[in-house]
Amino acid sequence: MDIWQKLNELDRRWIYFLMFLSILFPTIFVIKFPVELTPEAEQLYNAVEALPDSSVVMLTFDYYASAMAETEPMSIAALRHMWRKNMKIVTLTNIPLGGPTIAERITRQVAKEFGKVYGVDYVNLGYKANYVAVMHGLAGSIESIFPTDYSGTRLSELPLMQKVKTYADIKFLYCVADNATADYWISIVNAQYGLPVGAGVTAVMAPKMYAFVEAGQMTGLLGGMKGAAEYEKLVGAPGSATRGMDAQSMAHFLIIFLVMVGNLGFFLTKKKRKV
Amino acid sequence: MKTTIPIIVAFLAGALLVVSFFINPDKIFIGDASEVARIWMTIISGFALVLGVVSIVRVNARAVKRKSEGWFYKLMTLLSVFAIAIPGILPITKTSVGGSIFYSIFPESWSPLLGTGANSIYDWLFNYIDAPMMETMFAMLAFYIASAAYRAFRARNAEATLLLLTALLVMLWRVPMGEAFLRLFSDNLPGYINTYVMGGFNVAVQRGIIIGAALGAASMSLRIILGIERTYMGR
Repeated sequence: MDIWQKLNELDRRWIYFLMFLSILFPTIFVIKFPVELTPEAEQLYNAVEALPDSSVVMLTFDYYASAMAETEPMSIAALRHMWRKNMKIVTLTNIPLGGPTIAERITRQVAKEFGKVYGVDYVNLGYKANYVAVMHGLAGSIESIFPTDYSGTRLSELPLMQKVKTYADIKFLYCVADNATADYWISIVNAQYGLPVGAGVTAVMAPKMYAFVEAGQMTGLLGGMKGAAEYEKLVGAPGSATRGMDAQSMAHFLIIFLVMVGNLGFFLTKKKRKV
Repeated sequence: MKTTIPIIVAFLAGALLVVSFFINPDKIFIGDASEVARIWMTIISGFALVLGVVSIVRVNARAVKRKSEGWFYKLMTLLSVFAIAIPGILPITKTSVGGSIFYSIFPESWSPLLGTGANSIYDWLFNYIDAPMMETMFAMLAFYIASAAYRAFRARNAEATLLLLTALLVMLWRVPMGEAFLRLFSDNLPGYINTYVMGGFNVAVQRGIIIGAALGAASMSLRIILGIERTYMGR
């Protein structure tokens, strides 16, 4: 058995071990390759930047805990950007499992940095089942869908919600998602109610979202951890996504190397079999 | 009767939303009926979640009772459901419904632990058990993808070769180190990949898929509204 045949039958545990090393190495020894910006990330940043100070924006936390490595840095960077401009933020989620908890934890963490007050500067609406009905319903009256906020306080008792009644009172919708809710924010809220929508999504979702960006239905896009790192760079506050870029770079290079070795072995052994 | 009533309900609900979308509701007799229907939808969906919990409890409890294969894991599922649900739905304050009865039995100092707020039991279970487990499961994908890519991603024919080359280029473009590598060949290469691969070929294909799926969804909705499609009733 020659080396290529041996490589073709390589025990998968060696591949797991190499992947483990490729992630561990840059986590310990920071390389810090510069993060280049894509036009889509800049478009999203500019859209938020162009809003007047103190505008009301809606930020959604439509992701499960499993995708937090990619999406949480986007939410944090978005909150920092918005509060730097003193915006008022209404958050909600379409994820029953942990969505409201994630939104609560992240908004409170960033609010502390900026000294923002709950009820005045931001409100967490929490979760309501059936996102299609929720998205349509918010156009008629936010209070009819969410009579209370996440903690059970009536919306009428929260100063911010006294002036935010429907989408008409919101300037921009910033959706962070790991699932199909992003499509619905675009096809329902942007297409039918005219609210500008920008999104941060997981890397696997990003190719689909390009169709909406190109059509002008979406104002900017962040794709995966790289998108989050780009937004962190734009906001000027590097965080966990920027730190994760080295590990992701090494992992991508390892996979490319493995694909090349696998194909080389495939062709050489095929050639030998023919001979 | 079992078939006719659901079909009538589906027809009325579907027709109401379709009509209110295409015709100004203020000009016709339906008024704000579509808005009311949407509020109903969120309420009914809430009940569907409860139905899901009842179903998971019934199925798993039966398996535990019969001690069928894997009954221990099913028991863990049941314990997990109750451990995370009970502290989350219990009364939060003394003034909430049933709160005074609850706090006449248990100490009031338990109040911050109940409900779903920060530092509650639910919050702790989610942040320190559920979330790390979900993240771990997702992170393991990196290892499986690496192994699968090594074994299965082969340039067997022209289409597969094209796919492979595109994938390699996009993988390089999506990370800073890869971008730096691409710039060794041309400074414009990362920009070209974004413009022509992602914004060009990719968008063309995605549009086809999105439009095809939307047409499929529209025709399926019509079939349900008109009572042709009845599989949602289990038939």
